[in-house]
Amino acid sequence: MTATTNKEQDQILMERANHYMRQARLAAAVFTQYSQEDVDRIVKAMTQVAIENAPMLAQMAHEETRMGVTEDKILKNLVASEFLYHQIKDKKSVGVIQEFPELNLVEMAEPMGVIFAMSPVTNPTSTVIFKSICAAKTRNSIIFSAHLMAADSSNTAAKMLYEAALAAGAPKGFISWVDKSSRLRRLSELMMTHPEVDLIFATGGTQMVKAAYSSGKPALGVGSGNTPVYVHSSANVPSAAMEIIISKTFDNGTECPSEQTLIIDRAISDEIMAEFKRNGCYICTPDEVKMVADAVIDSRTGGMNYRLVGQPADLILKNAGIDSGSDRPTKVVLCPLEGELRHHPLAVEKLMPVLGYVFVDSVDEGINRSLDINYAGGTGHTAGIFAEDENVIERFTTAINAGRIIVNSPSSIGGLGGVYNHLNTTLSFGCGTGGGNITTDNVGIKNLINFKRVPRRKNFLTTFSTTRNIYINPGSIDQLKTLKCSSAFVITSPTASRRGHLAMVQERLPENCHVEVFSDLGPEPEFETIQRAIVALRKAKADTIIALGGGSVLDAAKLVRLFYDYPDLDLDQIAVSFLDFNHRMQVFPKEMKTQLVAIPTTSGTGSEVTPYSVLKQGKRKISLVDECLLPDVAIIDANLTRSLPQSITVDTAFDALTHGLEALVSTFASDYTDGLALESLRLIFEALPEILKNPQSVLYRHKLHNAATLAGMAIGNASVGINHAMAHAVGARFDIPHGRANAAFLLSTIAYNSRVPTKFVSIPCYPLWIADRKYARAAHFIGLNEKQERQDLSYEKDEAYRIRLITSLAQAIYDLGRLAGIPLSVGELGIDPEVYLESLPELTETAMRDLSLRTNPGYALPTEVAQLFFEALPIRQRPE
Amino acid sequence: MQTDNAQKIFIAGQLQRAQDNVDQLIASGAQSVVLDFSACTFISVDGLEWLEEMLLRADSSKAQVRFVSIPPSIYKVFKVARIDSIMRACGAPNTDKHSQSC
Repeated sequence: MTATTNKEQDQILMERANHYMRQARLAAAVFTQYSQEDVDRIVKAMTQVAIENAPMLAQMAHEETRMGVTEDKILKNLVASEFLYHQIKDKKSVGVIQEFPELNLVEMAEPMGVIFAMSPVTNPTSTVIFKSICAAKTRNSIIFSAHLMAADSSNTAAKMLYEAALAAGAPKGFISWVDKSSRLRRLSELMMTHPEVDLIFATGGTQMVKAAYSSGKPALGVGSGNTPVYVHSSANVPSAAMEIIISKTFDNGTECPSEQTLIIDRAISDEIMAEFKRNGCYICTPDEVKMVADAVIDSRTGGMNYRLVGQPADLILKNAGIDSGSDRPTKVVLCPLEGELRHHPLAVEKLMPVLGYVFVDSVDEGINRSLDINYAGGTGHTAGIFAEDENVIERFTTAINAGRIIVNSPSSIGGLGGVYNHLNTTLSFGCGTGGGNITTDNVGIKNLINFKRVPRRKNFLTTFSTTRNIYINPGSIDQLKTLKCSSAFVITSPTASRRGHLAMVQERLPENCHVEVFSDLGPEPEFETIQRAIVALRKAKADTIIALGGGSVLDAAKLVRLFYDYPDLDLDQIAVSFLDFNHRMQVFPKEMKTQLVAIPTTSGTGSEVTPYSVLKQGKRKISLVDECLLPDVAIIDANLTRSLPQSITVDTAFDALTHGLEALVSTFASDYTDGLALESLRLIFEALPEILKNPQSVLYRHKLHNAATLAGMAIGNASVGINHAMAHAVGARFDIPHGRANAAFLLSTIAYNSRVPTKFVSIPCYPLWIADRKYARAAHFIGLNEKQERQDLSYEKDEAYRIRLITSLAQAIYDLGRLAGIPLSVGELGIDPEVYLESLPELTETAMRDLSLRTNPGYALPTEVAQLFFEALPIRQRPE
Repeated sequence: MQTDNAQKIFIAGQLQRAQDNVDQLIASGAQSVVLDFSACTFISVDGLEWLEEMLLRADSSKAQVRFVSIPPSIYKVFKVARIDSIMRACGAPNTDKHSQSC
């Protein structure tokens, strides 16, 4: 039966396409089993055959296409085999192909599968050699569809390499080729959209590349160029002239990276034109330029006349009706492009030894004319420059949009890579988006691999840091006598002065030390107060700051020192929030210039050993964090707390208690901070009831003072959580002392954090949610465990026991709170409930922005935070 | 080798060509054949083509052929080859080429 309709003809073609695809598909499947050694053996065998047959294939290509120069086609075949092999023989393309130990990352290769490849008429055998070897190296199957005018030579090359590969053990059918026929073009169209094709690898004319990209398949399509080459006055002129001739005559100009228009500095115009002429080029007169243009440019399309592609210069002159007047062969036809360059008919790609040129009077003009050519059909492809002036080269390469910008070398052979430079050897030149391509690479094996990245979990950097010198016993304030300082600036509060602490400090400072005092710091000062302190400090020109007071004073002193040492810092910039301490954008100073001595007079914040400073700004608090905020010296002298009123003693003790609990369950908790947090909790439960009975007890004041510092070290490294976020919000909004605000949310925080979170926190240092176990451990550590007759009980394994321990912990906190008389809910803080309820959206928003929330063991959702604020209102009942 | 009512045959080493014992079993009218790939180390294109053709013959003679204990490297060959009948023999529930089973 004769196929009469297009549909019937397509059906027959589709059956052929199915046949090609099926064998390629099976080969691709089998190829997945091959090792690197298998692949390298096959590639070696293919390369050997290609090298041995390079002359024969070149001859065949030349005879079939009547284009180019056989000698140059031999070189192209050798570039596609010998040079390519040299570059890829030691490269890994199977399994793990690259390791990045410092990143805990490996890259592995996965074949792409079935590649449908098209080869051009200008490089019919070298392109097939190149793509076949690349396919083998990457374990892909490849089906070639050659240009109709070059199908015999292309298919012969494919067959030769396939047979060599097969003999070396390659899978049957991994290379195949579409037989030459009058329906080859239609068959190629059908194959481009065939479901079994994984990648289209198109090299050739613009239309074909466009069709590849329009197929809906992943495509590597590389098409036409229009190479500008700028010859600057600093160039070695004779050498530049010769290399341009070498390049433009290479295979009679069929290489798409070859020079198309020269942009020549007028200063060297005579010299270079003389060189061209001396070396056998023909320089056209303006009238002759039109004759050449009429011959080599298709007036209907504006593109080159394909009949003259790859033809010798003399034949082109003959076609143009020009007699060179010389009996020696013409190498290149040079055409001055007069008038508006952008509209000149010869300012396009001419794959033949016809070369346009213009003279320019400056580097700027040279680059601009180069851009005219670059953006006239060759964007992203290739450009060239001859210059010795590095500044000119840099300006040119910055301006030009080309995947390869060849310097002081022939652009055609230079573009191939591996011969004149270390570019990847290729016969396919990616042009990037400028040329409608996906890559600017010299396309090669890496473009035919699916890269599998296997990142291992990164080692999360955890450090422990605290104040360098800590003096801890009652009476340790005497250490001030040995302090190395000539001028001290004491920052304190009016209270410290009244309680006699300021005098204690002044009496102990070295005799020759000049002392200035700033005692205007009230609780939770605003930044304006800190700025006033900085002004006073600048006048005093002190080398040491002594912070004497509670948490607010110590926090403020840290900022005073920071802005005193580094006045150019911007508070808004350093206060920018961050997710991960190791990746935050703010840059703090590495070293401080002024010594900071912290002497806490309350047992609460632990600020003397933390890198934090909390600052009140309007109705919210902002937290600054950096090691540079750590004081240099901390003096933990319980004598300074003996006269502390009960209410402040209790408030600050509950602040420390909150620190211990939040640091314990924090996502940044470590064995180091756990130990500190647990011991701080134990000391608070031991000391606070005794201090309530006997406020003057130095022994228990000392234990409580130590507890606050230990808890400070814990939060200084593990940070806090949702309890602090909520307390900051309420404290700032209703002017509630920090410890008191913390206590109001303590029990609800434990209840919330003991439940499996609605949303886990995605942070690499916290691979397992264990907040409930941590609370149980705390209860166990402070002696709330059940009687020893139940030796087998383990809170790690027994959930019911764990829950009982957590309840015991909550009850113990409740009992301590009631004993101390501290409010344990918002309703007990004296806040108007109506105002509080109205403020809930604002409080929630403030808490959600708080840095403290980042290290909570569960990801607190806004609805949950709002609910926690709401539930904190009623009078707290003893947990059951 | 017989397992329950099925005849079980091990495909050992490299499957480079047709396996006569399997072909004979199907030709003899066996109704249920199990091919155990646990010791199979490689499959060539010819091996794949034989599997497909053998499954076609089995289907014609109403015999059921199942592939079991398939190493991942071999199973990946089946997945990349996208041969429907082979995937069904691996236990794929339908003829969807992209469905997964086994």
